[in-house]
Amino acid sequence: MIKLRNVSKIYPNGARALSNISLEIAKGEFVFLVGQSGAGKSTLIKLLYREEIATRGQVFIDNINLVRLKPHQVPKVRRNIGVIFQDFKLLPTKTVFENVAFAQHVIGKNKHEIKANTENILELVGLGKKKDSFPSELSGGEQQRVCVARALVNHPSLLVADEPTGNLDIETAWGIMELLNQINRLGTTVVMATHALQIVQQMNKRVVRVEEGKIAEDTSGGAYRFGF
Amino acid sequence: MAFDSAKYVLIQALLSLKRNIWLSIASIMTVMISLTLLGCSVLFLANTSHIAKTFESQVEIAVFLNERLESAQITELQNKIEKLDGVSVVTLTTKDQAILDFQESMGSKSLLEDLGGVNPFPNKFTITAKDARMVETIASQVTGMAGVDKVRFGQGMLEKLIVFTNWLRWIGIGVVAAFSFASILLITLNIKTNVNSREKEIHIMRLVGASNGFIRWPFFLEGLMIGLIGAVMAIIVVGTAYTWLMQYIINTLAFMPVVADQGFIMLVLFIMLLCGMSMGALASAFSVRKFLRV
Repeated sequence: MIKLRNVSKIYPNGARALSNISLEIAKGEFVFLVGQSGAGKSTLIKLLYREEIATRGQVFIDNINLVRLKPHQVPKVRRNIGVIFQDFKLLPTKTVFENVAFAQHVIGKNKHEIKANTENILELVGLGKKKDSFPSELSGGEQQRVCVARALVNHPSLLVADEPTGNLDIETAWGIMELLNQINRLGTTVVMATHALQIVQQMNKRVVRVEEGKIAEDTSGGAYRFGF
Repeated sequence: MAFDSAKYVLIQALLSLKRNIWLSIASIMTVMISLTLLGCSVLFLANTSHIAKTFESQVEIAVFLNERLESAQITELQNKIEKLDGVSVVTLTTKDQAILDFQESMGSKSLLEDLGGVNPFPNKFTITAKDARMVETIASQVTGMAGVDKVRFGQGMLEKLIVFTNWLRWIGIGVVAAFSFASILLITLNIKTNVNSREKEIHIMRLVGASNGFIRWPFFLEGLMIGLIGAVMAIIVVGTAYTWLMQYIINTLAFMPVVADQGFIMLVLFIMLLCGMSMGALASAFSVRKFLRV
């Protein structure tokens, strides 16, 4: 599913975010990316949805090399990747329904399909009753649910999340984690960068620890016990 | 783009206008004010050059003919002058007509008798030039012709008039240039700010996999609509104000030449509409472009 080969990322200002990273993630896996702020987690996540391009090395998603991708091919690849952010990134002038519907209009689905899909996914994330609210009228947890709904509505094969629980209290965070776990069980690969130690320890998933732009540790099955 | 998508894009553009209402109003006002200034300056230019042209067309050459010329020779001479380069109209005032005109202007009924039966007026051609700058050349050509006694035109005054009318034209062009520049700048800057303030929105669109065209269209349409509404408002203001001013000048300052050609005024207003719409749409499209480079 995901294959990073000798990937380095140096930002135009000279900051080296990743040095020579290699990583493979199989289809259907649930992987946590952990590490201190500035370790390179976010950069790694951004390489996966081609917000950033690797300076050296190759990044494959479903055998497509994102490093070589032509700009006009980018939208198509992104449609197969759902992205969730710490700051939600919802469109402030669109309602909950419109935010989720937007991701489908983009790929040219028809109106009836969009209406049905959007209503279903909003039920799934527990926001059926708030579909006409604007993001500013929602709590943080609710906004993140909208973001999850938007990321999932086109049934992506990969879901990447950059600290999705970073702005949420622990109970709300668990709600989101349950949602992600559920999605993962339905077959979607999930890659999530996080600081939430408690969540990582209890979820019992593969953990990749990034440190100073390198992979310091890669443990599967909850063997991860280090503090960070 | 499929019909559903096209409809969606249009609705999105309208919704966005409504939900960013203050931004939209600010943009519409900017377009309106800019185009009003532009429209006024174009009409100002049209009027200044019209005034210049009217003044210049009033410069005439008076050609006094020799007493001995027969009427056939006079006609021949008239034809000859009419063929000269730059001559617009040549009219003949016969000596009989001249004394009648003079008699009338004096309020007298028996001028010819008072003068002892001798008509002192010569036959006269009045030449109108196509361009005031050609008056001097025409005058010198006519002076050399057989049968011509004297040639008179506003020597000295003419040079001053041409300097003045040239100034008038340049001021008109300068005003239009300055206001065109200012209005293009105002409109594009405003729309650019408008688009920039929605950088986040564009970013999100890209993240969910929107193609560049899909992102650009709503902004393009929004810009077009802002331009359209602003232009229509400007047209109403300029159209009403100019019609009123035109009537006022015609009624009170009858000697002032005013451009009152309805077709021309309509053309100016129509150009304002095109300017508003194209500037709005293009400025939006270009501002969005910056964010679409992947």
